[in-house]
Amino acid sequence: MEQEQNKQGQMMRGADAVIKVLTAHGVTNIFGYPGGAIMPIYDALYGAPVEHLLSRHEQGAAFAALGYARASGKTGVCFATSGPGATNLVTSLADALLDSVPVVAITGQVSTAVIGTDAFQEIDVLGMSLSCTKHSFMVTEMDELVPTLYKAFEIAASGRPGPVLVDIPKDIQIGMLEYKTPVQDRVEEPLLDNRLVDEATTLLTQAKQPMLYVGGGVGMAGAVEPLRRFIKVTGVPSVATLKGLGSIAKDTPGYLGMLGMHGSKAANIAVQECDLLIVVGARFDDRVTGRLASFAEHAKVIHLDIDAAELGKLRLPEVAIDGDLRQVLPALATSLDIAPWQAEVARLKEEHQWNYDRPGELIFAPAMLKSLANKLPEDSVVCCDVGQHQMWVAQHMWFRKPEDHLSSAGLGTMGFGLPAGIGAKVSRPEATVVVVSGDGSFMMNVQELTTIKRRKLAVKILLIDNQKLGMVKQWQQLFFEERYSETDLSDNPDFVTLASAFDIPGRTITNTDEVEAALEHLVNCDGPYLLHVRIDEAHNVWPLVPPGASNRDMMEEMDKST
Amino acid sequence: MKHTVNLILEQRPEVLERVLRVVRHRGFKVTKMNMALADGKTAGVDMTVESDRGIELLTKQLDKLIDVIECNALAH
Repeated sequence: MEQEQNKQGQMMRGADAVIKVLTAHGVTNIFGYPGGAIMPIYDALYGAPVEHLLSRHEQGAAFAALGYARASGKTGVCFATSGPGATNLVTSLADALLDSVPVVAITGQVSTAVIGTDAFQEIDVLGMSLSCTKHSFMVTEMDELVPTLYKAFEIAASGRPGPVLVDIPKDIQIGMLEYKTPVQDRVEEPLLDNRLVDEATTLLTQAKQPMLYVGGGVGMAGAVEPLRRFIKVTGVPSVATLKGLGSIAKDTPGYLGMLGMHGSKAANIAVQECDLLIVVGARFDDRVTGRLASFAEHAKVIHLDIDAAELGKLRLPEVAIDGDLRQVLPALATSLDIAPWQAEVARLKEEHQWNYDRPGELIFAPAMLKSLANKLPEDSVVCCDVGQHQMWVAQHMWFRKPEDHLSSAGLGTMGFGLPAGIGAKVSRPEATVVVVSGDGSFMMNVQELTTIKRRKLAVKILLIDNQKLGMVKQWQQLFFEERYSETDLSDNPDFVTLASAFDIPGRTITNTDEVEAALEHLVNCDGPYLLHVRIDEAHNVWPLVPPGASNRDMMEEMDKST
Repeated sequence: MKHTVNLILEQRPEVLERVLRVVRHRGFKVTKMNMALADGKTAGVDMTVESDRGIELLTKQLDKLIDVIECNALAH
């Protein structure tokens, strides 16, 4: 403390102050890519007590920061230079915005004197950031630099978390300032409104058929344990969103898995039949609700979320409480008399179990993923890409906590998985990190294999290959009269040879009887590994709520194996 | 339906863009607007917006903006 105070008032370059603010916030890892306008900050980084991981594309750096944040609960940090460096961050920042991930992105900018002159590598990053960040800053005065960075960390992690961008012109990085730790405003925690708690409790105790709809907000709020206690006390049956997976332990009575477009049939039927929907840290996303007007149409709604703007946005709740779920959930936990409904939910669960019986030698991805889930050690993280494999992971794997399942949910960004897996491995080096990708998604950030090689990161890659952009193909098959426009990927590279160019060993399997041994090796071998799995291209994701339909009207499996 | 929205904002160069982006993106049209800098730290904006959507969808999103200090809406 005394030493810290002695450092107050120290003169230093802006660039050195940036690194000092990061270390003051406990940042140990940064993901980034250098360039002209951020060179002073990279100079300050040289020899600093912060580890920087060089990505091979700024999108990869920012996704690694997201993966780091999501797997650990800490704020992720990424660096990029001006112009193309900053524009390459946009997709990842948008991903962090839609999935509420705390990330601080620091971009270099051309010097203040030439901003607005179309200087080399100049783009209006502040303007660009408005739609893809929770908040953003451009620092134009030396004495604003340190307070702005402090605010950035506060905003990224508080309330509903999100990405914050700080654009720092080169002259601000080079200029000198007197470092003073800013006095931070105390953020007042909202008080729990007891009247609303009473109203919600009344609805709960009156309900005959309540259902709990759990979203990613539970994990972000650190409210997994209060949620599990709430479920135990109330005995309320439950479903989860893609981001909510892991919040509820898999064997919890009445837990029906994921709801929505590719949710379990039991989950969707139960939600349609309920008379009270308790929505916790979720936001009535269209992939969850199907046709909104007919979603849980006979149910009253209690909506709990930290973000007041989500309350009533798409569905008007009978009771809405914006507040910290760690306070709200214990206040609502009360025992309920709903035995007949619990029995009905158990019956639905029994009736609509997954069927893993597939004749033939071709590998059935859902069965393989179920087997993988059972082989993973307790400390594991699964990072998905986007598409059919992502939905199979959500349906057929299980997770001990939300931080163990990283999936680009809101934005649905192909190319998320590999760099997010790198970030997850950096944040949890002892964990087994498996990237489950598809042959389409994998190629979107394939350059990050170099990042794995660079740090010899033991990231395991399970590449599920149907030589198709499978999810788009599935929709073409079902809704576009089998007109397969630009979804054939039969000219994929040899993925095992590709991995070997980055010193990553691997193998290809094509036959069901190869699966078990290959998964064992993938999970238990030292170092990185790529398991390339050829699957039957005819397999689609089932069940499916067609676009615009009610969740009650799920399409059932209609695959014919090739 | 038309509403008047009265805002008190942090005085930052980009704050008007920030507000107008949200207004457009959330499905509202600005039909009239006035802005004045106040005390060196804040700016006042009064605007009339039009939309079929409920005004709360806009005001809650504006309230979320870090640079929005106060946001009130009145129906016409």
